[in-house]
Amino acid sequence: MADKVVCITSGKGGVGKSTVTANVATALAMKGYKVVAIDADIGLRNLDLVLGLENRIVYDIVHVVEGVVPPEKALVKDKRTKNLYLLPAAQTKDKSAVKPEDLVKIVEELRDKFDFIFIDSPAGIEEGFKTAVTPADTIIVVANPEMASIRDADRVVGLCEAMQKPEPKLVINRLDPKKVARGDMLDVEDVLQVLSLDLLGVVPEDKNMVSYINRGEPAVLFEDSVAGKELRNIAERLLGKEIPIPKWTYSEGFLEKLKRLFGSE
Amino acid sequence: MGLMDRLRDAFGRPPAKEVAKKRLQLILKYDRAGLPPNAVEAVKEAILKALEEFPFIDTSGVNIHITESENTKGKIEIEVPVRNN
Ligand SMILES: Nc1ncnc2c1ncn2[C@@H]1O[C@H](COP(=O)(O)OP(=O)(O)OP(=O)(O)O)[C@@H](O)[C@H]1O
Ligand SMILES: [Mg+2]
Repeated sequence: MADKVVCITSGKGGVGKSTVTANVATALAMKGYKVVAIDADIGLRNLDLVLGLENRIVYDIVHVVEGVVPPEKALVKDKRTKNLYLLPAAQTKDKSAVKPEDLVKIVEELRDKFDFIFIDSPAGIEEGFKTAVTPADTIIVVANPEMASIRDADRVVGLCEAMQKPEPKLVINRLDPKKVARGDMLDVEDVLQVLSLDLLGVVPEDKNMVSYINRGEPAVLFEDSVAGKELRNIAERLLGKEIPIPKWTYSEGFLEKLKRLFGSE
Repeated sequence: MGLMDRLRDAFGRPPAKEVAKKRLQLILKYDRAGLPPNAVEAVKEAILKALEEFPFIDTSGVNIHITESENTKGKIEIEVPVRNN
């Protein structure tokens, strides 16, 4: 597979990189692929929490870089999904503890043993971002339909181009169909007109997301999760399946409009 | 939002998403060209000043904008119309 090594990045922080990484990795592992998710957010370890693996960590990526253990030895096996592994970030070190060439070396050592290698990038556009992107064959930019996030996503796209990487694919996260219907939030078409990237998926706002993360259970494990369904579709599209992307536009009816205008919500 | 704000948004003003899209399109133009947001205005002012001494130029018709460029970060295009008479 040409796009085996996938980096998830965004520029802006808190837009859903770790959520997308954990969920798409889980969805692919559930389908039987052997998957490792690397947390490249050194110093701000988070991916372990989304997967609920925080108390199983013995070694981390900095131990691997320092030669304390080989990469395989630092992998944490997921507790529910077979075939899914996490390479945790270090919580105490700083971003410069893993250099681009270090991550390239780790990825090369893991490459033959896995079907997919996901790299969860730190926010920002400095060295941590560059390290995360360097080994990737495929880059996914996650953006919220919101001004600052889109502006930062565009910066990231420019930097990837400067690094001679393939053009990133876009995941729009936290789209709220109600706000779109009201004309308050940018819709999918608006975002694509501004960013003009290949769209890999649109993940709606999911009010249950907080509780999934609090329990350490990715949304894709739940059949009835609205975000989980679209995150599973993103996994399918990475496998080359053509699944139409819902536009998430519904028009507010006249009564709904009146209710919103004069109601007390 | 209070009732008055909601009514104004519903009937008077363009939807917030349209405003956001227009703003973003402009911001990204400048970001991509690596220019500060007032760059075009500043360049325009300097050019207009320099063109004042040429009577055959219609300074009111000077048009200036950023476009994309193949081999540089961006390109500022300036149209300088010559007067008809
Ligand atoms: N589709 C969604 N619906 C609702 N909440 C979401 C959704 N996606 C992400 N969130 C919430 O947004 C928050 C940030 O998500 P996440 O940690 O994945 O972002 P991040 O980009 O990895 O952040 P950082 O830049 O700090 O690494 C989390 O609390 C998560 O629950
Ligand atoms: Mg994160």
